[in-house]
Amino acid sequence: MTDLLPFQSFARRLRDTISCASNQPESLGKNEFQSLALDLFRLQYDQIAPYRSLCDRRRKTPATVSDWKDIPALPTSAFKDLELSSLPISERTTVFHSSGTTEQRPSRHFHSAESLSVYEASLLPWFQRHVVPESQANLRWIALTPPSSACPHSSLIHMFEAVQKAFAPGETQFYGELSTDNTWEIRFSEVFATLEQAIASQQPVILLGTAFLFVHLLDELEERGITYQLPPGSRLMETGGYKGRSRELPKAELHRLLSQRLGLPDSAILCEYGMSELSSQAYDRTCFDASPRRFQFPPWVHIVIVSPETGAEVAFGEPGLVRIHDLANIWSIAAVQTEDLAIRHEAGFELLGRAAKAEPRGCSLMAG
Amino acid sequence: MNLPNYFLADLPPEASLTGPLITEACLTMKRNRVQFLAQRSTSDIIRVLCEVAERWQKKTNPFRLYALEEGPQQTGFSRATLERGIDDFFRQITEENLELLVAQELGHAKRLDTFSAGKEERIGDRTSMVTGPDLLVHIAAGNLPNPAWMSLILGLLTRSAQFMKCARGSSFLPRLFAHSLYEEDAKLGACIELAEWAGGESELENALFAEADCVTATGSDETLAAIRSRLPVRVRFLGYGHRVSFGYVSREMMSERSLPKLVKAATEDIIAWNQLGCLSPHVIYVEHGGQLEPALFAAKLAEELAAREAAEPRGPLDTHSAAAIQTRRAFYEIRAAHLPDTQLWCSENSTAWTVIFENETGFQHSCLNRFIYVKQLMDQEELLRHLEPLRHQISTVGLAATDETAPKLATRFAQWGITRICPLGRMQKPPLTWRHDGRPALNDLVTWTDWEKDSV
Repeated sequence: MTDLLPFQSFARRLRDTISCASNQPESLGKNEFQSLALDLFRLQYDQIAPYRSLCDRRRKTPATVSDWKDIPALPTSAFKDLELSSLPISERTTVFHSSGTTEQRPSRHFHSAESLSVYEASLLPWFQRHVVPESQANLRWIALTPPSSACPHSSLIHMFEAVQKAFAPGETQFYGELSTDNTWEIRFSEVFATLEQAIASQQPVILLGTAFLFVHLLDELEERGITYQLPPGSRLMETGGYKGRSRELPKAELHRLLSQRLGLPDSAILCEYGMSELSSQAYDRTCFDASPRRFQFPPWVHIVIVSPETGAEVAFGEPGLVRIHDLANIWSIAAVQTEDLAIRHEAGFELLGRAAKAEPRGCSLMAG
Repeated sequence: MNLPNYFLADLPPEASLTGPLITEACLTMKRNRVQFLAQRSTSDIIRVLCEVAERWQKKTNPFRLYALEEGPQQTGFSRATLERGIDDFFRQITEENLELLVAQELGHAKRLDTFSAGKEERIGDRTSMVTGPDLLVHIAAGNLPNPAWMSLILGLLTRSAQFMKCARGSSFLPRLFAHSLYEEDAKLGACIELAEWAGGESELENALFAEADCVTATGSDETLAAIRSRLPVRVRFLGYGHRVSFGYVSREMMSERSLPKLVKAATEDIIAWNQLGCLSPHVIYVEHGGQLEPALFAAKLAEELAAREAAEPRGPLDTHSAAAIQTRRAFYEIRAAHLPDTQLWCSENSTAWTVIFENETGFQHSCLNRFIYVKQLMDQEELLRHLEPLRHQISTVGLAATDETAPKLATRFAQWGITRICPLGRMQKPPLTWRHDGRPALNDLVTWTDWEKDSV
């Protein structure tokens, strides 16, 4: 039987770290991250066989690695076919899938009650710090996605549900639904009624959704000839790409149009960067702070932007592939190599988009 | 080297093109054509072309030197890759080859000059001659220069004024060739125009299409459909869609004796123009059941690619192309760690070259820039079943087979719809007489006039 105790004890350590670092990000020093990362690597190497075989192949094992940056990262494509989890099947209560209509096989990230609780411990303080930094915001919450009951495998919807439960208990509001062809649709009339009520009572709103849902919202507003002036203190968080579900707008253009149609200052529009393979998220600004957009993960997540040519970390201002080391990915794999390109900055990174046609077409990782 | 401003593409990038400017350029060229080109003889044009080609092969030729100096920056190809590409192309431009081309395409060497009759026509008491379009427009794609060079050569043979529209950032090598023609024979040069803009600029393109008699275009099916839909009905359209190619090694060739030669030949095809052309292989298929295992072919290919990288480096890549290779490698690294019949070889600390060996026959598009799949298969029929979704999208098969097996394999490939079969190692070096995508090179451009003699 798999011994889970070491993982649980790691989880306890990490929770302590998170609770300190949430208030004082700088309190998590390099050495502490290093030691947590190496300890977690040892656990994951021991417990997750497909990961171990990759590490052995690269000759990077707990015996040889002394810097977290050398811990082998698994490509996101590996999450599609390999079972990258140390959770026994009986404890897997939830599985998150990657989204995207073109994906034949989604990535899978298995969770238990305990891993979800670590996920939330990581999610909430960093979300609060960036999206609802005020102590008393009194927001009207509007998520444009369907609820988790309709999409139990969406980590994004789980996230939206978790933040609403934490910051607006009893008021979970989802304005999307699943259409017959499994696409997400917004119940526009209800959204608009809620926005109008909020405007009438001058209660600030918070809109949560994906980039393509916001494009749908903009199109509908345009068709109905509506422009709102949302109450002061209102904000919007968008995330993700378009995945062929709407026309594609460059982010700056999307933000400009949202700002115009909803009467929001640009500083009230935030981007989130996350993925089903992770347990933590990055935000590109703190709400109402108008400084340049730079994505930042919480201190228990470190990233390296690596040159796709050499695999070495790029200099500031240079583009490369984002490699993420998420300590909250306890029962999965902490080191994840994404297919996303970004520019490295001194504080955070700037996303450039996905590497083109990275995965071989029509090719399953494990097909013989 | 300072190039004079002969062509629109020589203007500084900030110079803005307009519809009237394009129209004016077309009208000027048409006038120049009547004056300087229409009455020239085929042998005269061939002589000029051969002189230009010969100069390009001389190590001290200023155009060649400039292409090699500036080319890496302008095109992304390393100096060595450019040098090889230039030599391979211009070596073929000889009097003999060009005469062969005219004779093959038009049935008679003098067909472009005067009424002439081949054997069949003489029997029918008939002669014929051909004329080219007054204004031939080329919509050139991408960074590979040889299709653009060849288009210009064909257009000169048909005595057409030519306007070549290059994609943004890709006019450098066609422009140098045009300048070298201009230097050799300014009157011929005055019948050529080159410009660069991003496809879809309707004001410029409408002006251009309104003057055109024939348009050739290279690009995706969508691009071709879009161009075709905008052409006036009288304009002839020749579209060349994107094609892919592969190598095929029959089991009889997998012997200790043949392997080194085969591997060298395959490497030649992979490194030519960094595998970026329609004629470059994405996959090398190796039949199972020979003296040596197909996986050995892959291993030896990796060794050869590594050796050639030292002598003829691939050159730097943009971030997106490098990321595509790195991400694809990561995928196969995982697969190789879990499946015994998947293997991966690649350059260390660079994306310079990659070899993936798989026991899975399906065609796989490579991310190119020297990234090659080697796949083992049972036989040709197995391959053709897998290729069905790509029927009519395959250009070339680089075939390595014995004299006994080759005819059968080639016939089957031809019947299936493949338009070019050549020896492995010559995929990126089609002869001048090659029929692009199975279509005649000159014959598609010209119009025939038949003269039936009064036999009474």
